[in-house]
Amino acid sequence: MHRRGVGAGAIAKKKLAEAKYKERGTVLAEDQIVQMSKQLETFKTHLEEFASKHKQEIRKSSQFRVQFQEMCATIGVDPLASGKGFWSEMLGVGDFYYELGVQIIEVCLALKHRNGGLITLDELHQRVLKGRGKFAQDVSQDDLIRAIKKLKAMGNGFGVIPVGGSYLVQSVPAELNMDHTVVLQLAEKKGYVTVSEIRESLKWEKERACHVLDHLLKEGLAWLDLQAAGEPQYWLPALFSELSCRDVTPEEANQMTP
Amino acid sequence: VSYTLPYRNQNSTLQPERRLTEFVLEMSFEWPWQYNFPPFFTLQPNVDTRQKQLAAWCSLALSYCRHRKLYTLDVLEAQESPVFNNKKIERKLSVEAIQVVFEELRKKGNLEWIDKNKTRCLIMWRRPEEWGSLIYQWVSKNGMINSVFTLYELSNGDDTENEEFHGLEEWMLLRSLQALQAEGKAEIITLDDGKGVKFF
Repeated sequence: MHRRGVGAGAIAKKKLAEAKYKERGTVLAEDQIVQMSKQLETFKTHLEEFASKHKQEIRKSSQFRVQFQEMCATIGVDPLASGKGFWSEMLGVGDFYYELGVQIIEVCLALKHRNGGLITLDELHQRVLKGRGKFAQDVSQDDLIRAIKKLKAMGNGFGVIPVGGSYLVQSVPAELNMDHTVVLQLAEKKGYVTVSEIRESLKWEKERACHVLDHLLKEGLAWLDLQAAGEPQYWLPALFSELSCRDVTPEEANQMTP
Repeated sequence: VSYTLPYRNQNSTLQPERRLTEFVLEMSFEWPWQYNFPPFFTLQPNVDTRQKQLAAWCSLALSYCRHRKLYTLDVLEAQESPVFNNKKIERKLSVEAIQVVFEELRKKGNLEWIDKNKTRCLIMWRRPEEWGSLIYQWVSKNGMINSVFTLYELSNGDDTENEEFHGLEEWMLLRSLQALQAEGKAEIITLDDGKGVKFF
């Protein structure tokens, strides 16, 4: 058998071969990098085109926003996750929801004096639309929910309570547990609730019902009506339908805390 | 919606035009949202809520009196007035609650009890100084500084028919003129058949 050489020459040859391979590898990497750069350039241009084309649509159409959000969800992107970057800066998605969040806070603050920090999604929607004026962009209830979720994540004391097919938006960090929530849901139908109704529907003892109702009174979310036929009624200003169209009264305006 | 005129029994002897005026006045008043909210007529147990409630009641009572140009209120009659008695929703403020509201108004300087038993009061939805200012403006605007007026001329004369202070009750008129007097803008004088005032 002819042995391969392991002498100095062989080692040197090996080293040369390795060096050549390395060089080739480097050359390959460089190639790839150049290729990738080119691709990125193209990609970036496409993105910019996409952004400018759709930025308008994002601001204008609530339907587009819903579909856009759903698309983002499927590819694992949250356009509202960070303040900076492509999504919020180029597309203005973050801007849109940020501005909406500010509007929502304004409406809730203005009415907190009246409803204790609880408002129906319908009323919130109406007032936000009103505040944006006739020629402003369309805002859907889906938009509001997303903006509120963002506010909640930022720790603004916001929350959403499902009631009767829609939602109540809570803007003040009042402690509302499951018991309170379920009573709110019961009150949604007529705008008020009684101890008997709670006992009948939820099968609670009187003490539990009274405890919850007292808490709602204490938080300023409910008012007591002693002139109802039968037993006292607990009314929630937030659910009082007549409020939907009424503006903030001057004395309320004077009493609003910033 | 069936409608009941205020003080119906008392007004049955009024002329038809007067009743129509009362009716129009009644219908044109804009009730705040609280007025149709049943618990508004129950004194609230929660302190913060009660504060808001009383503030709203004071505001409503003053607006209503201003709208109807009422200068005095009787507590028992007030219970039947549309302000404190919303027949549509079958709720009304109790006498105790009305007295609480009146006490709030008194503390704010908008109400004065006429009698020790607190059954009747003067209601000042405008302060005497404000009335005085309005009257003085009218006098100077019409170049009538240095003229003498009887109280009746000011409150019930044809010339003042379109002014806000037309129909002002004498006790309030006097206080307003006294306020002007304190500012050196008027002097209350005694005439043959009553009081008068000269403006400077």
